[in-house]
Amino acid sequence: MLSFAISRLLRAGLTILFVMTFAFVVLRLSGDPALLIMSVDAPPEAIAAFRESWGLNQPIWDQYLAYIGHALTGDFGKSMRDGRPAIALVMERVPATLAITLPALALKIGLGIPAGIYAALHRNSMADRLTMAASVAGFTMPSFVLALLLVLVFAVQLGWLPASGSNGLSSAILPVLTLGTGGAAIMARFTRSAMLEVLGQPYIRAASAKGVTWRTVVTHHALPNAAIPTVTIVGFMVGSLVAGAVVVESVFSWPGIGRLLVSAVANRDLAVVQCILMVIAAWMVMANLAVDLAYGWLDPRVRGTAAAH
Amino acid sequence: MALVERAPALTVRRRGPALPLGVVLASAWLALMVVTALGADVLTPYSITALDLKARLAPPALMGGTWAHPLGTDELGRDVLSRLIMSIRMSLLIALFGTLIAATLGTGLGFLAAHFRKAVEQVVLMAIDFQASMPFMIIALAVLAFLGNSLPLFIALMGFHSWERYARISRGLTLAANEQGYAAAIRQLGASPARIYGLHILPNIASTLIVSMTLTFPEIILLESGLSFLGLGVQPPLASLGNMVGYGREYITHAPWIMLAPAAAIVLTTLSISLLGDWLRDRLDPTLR
Amino acid sequence: MSALLQANDLRRHYRVRSGEGFFAPKSVLRAVDGVSLRLERGRTLGLVGESGCGKSTTGKLVLGLVPPTSGTVRYRGQPLPPVGTSAWRGLRRHIQMVYQDPLGALDRRLPIGTQIEEPLSIHEQVSPVERRDRARAAMESVGLQPHQYERYPHELSGGQRQRVVLARALMTSPGLLVCDEPISALDVSIQAQVVNLLLDLQERLGIAYLFISHDLKVVRQVSHDVAVMYLGRIVEQGEAESLFATPAHPYTRALVAAIPTVNFGGGRQRERFLLQGDPPNPVNVPSGCAFHTRCPFATAQCRAETPTLQPLPGGRMVACHRVHEPALGVAA
Repeated sequence: MLSFAISRLLRAGLTILFVMTFAFVVLRLSGDPALLIMSVDAPPEAIAAFRESWGLNQPIWDQYLAYIGHALTGDFGKSMRDGRPAIALVMERVPATLAITLPALALKIGLGIPAGIYAALHRNSMADRLTMAASVAGFTMPSFVLALLLVLVFAVQLGWLPASGSNGLSSAILPVLTLGTGGAAIMARFTRSAMLEVLGQPYIRAASAKGVTWRTVVTHHALPNAAIPTVTIVGFMVGSLVAGAVVVESVFSWPGIGRLLVSAVANRDLAVVQCILMVIAAWMVMANLAVDLAYGWLDPRVRGTAAAH
Repeated sequence: MALVERAPALTVRRRGPALPLGVVLASAWLALMVVTALGADVLTPYSITALDLKARLAPPALMGGTWAHPLGTDELGRDVLSRLIMSIRMSLLIALFGTLIAATLGTGLGFLAAHFRKAVEQVVLMAIDFQASMPFMIIALAVLAFLGNSLPLFIALMGFHSWERYARISRGLTLAANEQGYAAAIRQLGASPARIYGLHILPNIASTLIVSMTLTFPEIILLESGLSFLGLGVQPPLASLGNMVGYGREYITHAPWIMLAPAAAIVLTTLSISLLGDWLRDRLDPTLR
Repeated sequence: MSALLQANDLRRHYRVRSGEGFFAPKSVLRAVDGVSLRLERGRTLGLVGESGCGKSTTGKLVLGLVPPTSGTVRYRGQPLPPVGTSAWRGLRRHIQMVYQDPLGALDRRLPIGTQIEEPLSIHEQVSPVERRDRARAAMESVGLQPHQYERYPHELSGGQRQRVVLARALMTSPGLLVCDEPISALDVSIQAQVVNLLLDLQERLGIAYLFISHDLKVVRQVSHDVAVMYLGRIVEQGEAESLFATPAHPYTRALVAAIPTVNFGGGRQRERFLLQGDPPNPVNVPSGCAFHTRCPFATAQCRAETPTLQPLPGGRMVACHRVHEPALGVAA
């Protein structure tokens, strides 16, 4: 188990390094980083100081090391827009993003998993068909369309909720609904197929043939086994929380990381873009790591192969 | 998104000659879209930049408007139908090129990994891991920020979406074919790599690749329209479905048709391809038999 | 005069990870560990042993499909070129292979005629008409009907598929055919037909076979000479009839004793000698004679010293310390 955890940790570290390298390479491809990151009207001394600090006069290998060093300490330079450190700008947006993504995650899990289990246990029922139809919609409808439809109904037609902004609880409802319902449908679909797969296994039939009650078969055999693939998709959703918020935050003018990213990309505020890239990468990597470890905990086989030697 | 591939088919699995109704409707819609894209220049009633200032924000014909503008006009009096037709062409073209680039790139890398093994394979596998571990939307945004936006760059960028799916498939199937199957036998006949990959392996894995393309194509439409919606994808004066929705969002309160028409086009197109893809996967994909 | 095929002291070792993860210790799997073979034109050498003894790897080494860790393979006196080079590809027309699973060895998307023609498309510049004629001739010589030219592999029976593989292998008139378990995937009723076809082709075309199989009955039927492998080494080698009549190595004796026969009574009672247990893990080969863990005659010497192949009177080669003991005499 220990070497399993260590090898996953190494992989996680490697992914982060990959993202940093990716940003470094793409940034170098695009021209002189000093001119790109500093604003056009920055004084020449400031540009020279930036070059000195980031080692831009050094050979490329030293630049790379300096870049990694800066990135590891959270120093991505200053935002072009107001001159504040990019990391501070990004960090102050984190709570707003979590304020809509965490309730949305709860909605996905709390609605999606029970719906999926119910659909699997009542296969081909009306509820099952509805779940599947909803999940197709969840896959094929882009979040901005769903968001605008919700706005059209709840803000424009009914006038119950604000169409955008961040004034209290009521303005969070539509973003959370947008993020949550699409995800819940996808979640339900995966839970359903995981359950159906498990229910088709011989050991389930063996257990029911032995005379164990169906309720016990489901709770003792089917659910724990179906949990394993379900954890993967939950982890994937946790990992892509922030990424998924990019569009939705922009539609609802919600002041989170996603909207910051969009405006930073539009204004080519590269320090901020890099910083957000790293924050999202770190978040993804941690989510994947958690999934891997949960896997090891849930599935003795994964642990087993690692511990066999 | 690799997990999505394993979702079970929604349609009832039938093998008979009768086509499911959903597949027929999906095919009809896609045929309409292809005709629209191909004939866009002939089909558009107006130029997409032609202003009709007397008919600004005219509603669609079915919502009380006139047949002069069947889907209404925007606030400059531009014909929504004409803009929609050009947008469909743009979005389908981007998705088509993106899908082809992703399939070619991924399949090529998968072949390289399976052919050379060792270091080459490790590099490809690391790249696959990296691609799969970051949401592509974020990578795309970063690249657009660093490199700026232009249509060729944007299309190339879309081509990097989900290449790893093809790399995984082609590497896995090639390894299987090399391990004990026909590819090893043909190699042992003395065939050159070009013959083995071009004449034998590629035709054998083509159906699996095509089924994967039915997953990639709608994903790229969604990605492109999302980025264009945010104003970071296709730039005006060019129009795509996404930036039409983005533009229409400003008028959602008094002219929702500007946004609803392209939104419906996006949803129906991605839905149709997904339905058709599920159906094709049942019939074509030998790995599922 | 040099032999058609001459392999000297072939070794093939694989580095394997025992387990998963970055820190799993690596060990060496000695799939083939010092095998020498010699095969003359138009003759058949049978290679027998339990699964995992390295006989298939030996076949791949002889084909040049995998490079040996050490040792050499010479075909008509020339060393095999490195895998994947154009010289290696050119040599393929002379050394061909027949597989255990003919369906797996054929491309399911192409009609068999096209596949039988493929060696010509690769190696010779000939017109499509001539390719087709030669493919039909090859089909006829292996007992396929001309109308099956357009058929697909899945439309044929197992035996017919193996005939397709044979026809394809024969297109460039090879001097050596490596047959890796060519009949073990076929129905018993078909096996005899394919064996007879192989014998017939050898008589007509003078091809040499390296015949790899775990089925001793078939090996006895087709082979002129036989080599018995155990855990990567040859433990006994000699002329086929005498080897099967009077096996000398305890392992060979056990294998021969296990051949099912019909005994109508009156005949000589065969020795009862069954192998105990499974072969040891090839990653961890026992010291000394690798067979000592399963050999009823093993002594301290067997556990300590690795026996080498020694000639017996009559040309037989045996690797066993105790082969000269009276209790184990060849004339037992």
